[in-house]
Amino acid sequence: MKKTLFAAALFATAAVGAMAPASAASVAYKLDPAHTAVVFIVNHLGFANAVGRFNAVSGEVAFDKEAIQNNAVTVSIDTASVDTNHAKRDEHLKSPDFFNAKEFPKITFKSTKVEKSGEKTGKLHGELTLLGVTRPVVLDVTFNKDGVSPASKQETVGFSARGTIKRTDFGMKYGAPNIGDEIQLLIEAEAVKA
Amino acid sequence: MSELLHDPFVQSSVLPLLAGVLAVGGIHVLKPVRGLAAAGIGAAFLAVFALVVGVPALPPPSSMGKLFWAASAGVALGAAADGLGVKDRAGSALVAAWLAASLVWIAMPALDSAAGVLTLLVLLAVAAWVAFGRMPGRAEGATAPAAALLALALAVGGTALIGSSASVAQMALALAAATGGFLLWNWPVERHVWGVSGQAALGVIVLLAGVLALFTQTQAIVLLLALPALLAGRLRRHLPVPDTGFGRAAGAAAVTVVTVLPALAAVGAAYLLGGAEASPY
Repeated sequence: MKKTLFAAALFATAAVGAMAPASAASVAYKLDPAHTAVVFIVNHLGFANAVGRFNAVSGEVAFDKEAIQNNAVTVSIDTASVDTNHAKRDEHLKSPDFFNAKEFPKITFKSTKVEKSGEKTGKLHGELTLLGVTRPVVLDVTFNKDGVSPASKQETVGFSARGTIKRTDFGMKYGAPNIGDEIQLLIEAEAVKA
Repeated sequence: MSELLHDPFVQSSVLPLLAGVLAVGGIHVLKPVRGLAAAGIGAAFLAVFALVVGVPALPPPSSMGKLFWAASAGVALGAAADGLGVKDRAGSALVAAWLAASLVWIAMPALDSAAGVLTLLVLLAVAAWVAFGRMPGRAEGATAPAAALLALALAVGGTALIGSSASVAQMALALAAATGGFLLWNWPVERHVWGVSGQAALGVIVLLAGVLALFTQTQAIVLLLALPALLAGRLRRHLPVPDTGFGRAAGAAAVTVVTVLPALAAVGAAYLLGGAEASPY
């Protein structure tokens, strides 16, 4: 059970992070883009929440089941892959008002620490870089499962992560607070042995 | 009141118009030097930018931040030049140097592609036209260059709005409204001279067009259709109106209306290319 908790924390970092030097016992995994989703939720003028996602996410995980402190994750998101199911809104989100995709084509996360908080849960600390601004963030992660996937026949690990950031902390001020400042992050990810 | 100030329509029209009227009027009442009144346009623009987008950090991390500080430098430079009595070729050279340096600074992150370099070259050519197309400080009426600024600002604002670049649209329309404040002070009687401050305000719209062309998906090429607005001065000189108070007032109004037509053509082209649907946020 301890192993699975460690795995949960480790792979949660994969949702958003960057790979640090791994220990000799760590095993390299890569995020599976077909089964990884980085979703954001933002309040829309107080009426409801708008939901969007990034369609191009890549990342690497150094996973050590025996020593959680050695686990590390790097994640890179293509800013221009933002998708809210509305072409004009996506165009606006890519503009300098929001993600400024031409000037800042990548959003990156680099894990710094993983803390155990429960049997299958943990807190993933890391540094998120958005619009060229780097800030510490903490994600609540849940390890779901590891083992050989019956579909791909590959060693796979899966996790979920949740967190909240303030977009104005990263200089994304346009429309705030009418378009919510707090952004909820939902990350679901599978990684396969590299 | 706070809700009113957060309304995008108010931010882009009523507020900058009032700011323009007050800023130009304040300078007019103080009567410090000729040509300085147009600095009220730039000052109103900067005030609205600070309200809508916020004052960007220094050094600015993005093109919009660079735009604000470059525009601030232009407004300060124009005011200082007018205060010192700089005009004609010296004034034009000053504006050209500031505008070229600002454009290169803003464009730098986009210069890793041929399209980015080509866009910058086009912007520099337009900047040269803006800077040298009219000698600042001459005792000609200020309506024609102000009408050119109004037209270009409307073109950039309308095109940006269609292209879902809301803050650029708001800033451009705010510049148009502030210019409207200046025009109100100069109609039916033209009271002010278009000095280096005015030329710098024209430069600010080139900077906004640069951000739009380089960092958004907007069909900014349509803005080339609005460039004939820069011929407003020539149009004014050749307009067959009597040299009377009524004739000059009618001429100023006619020049303003005709100068805006190329801007409407540019916005129309943007509409045809990009569709009228705006971002729903």
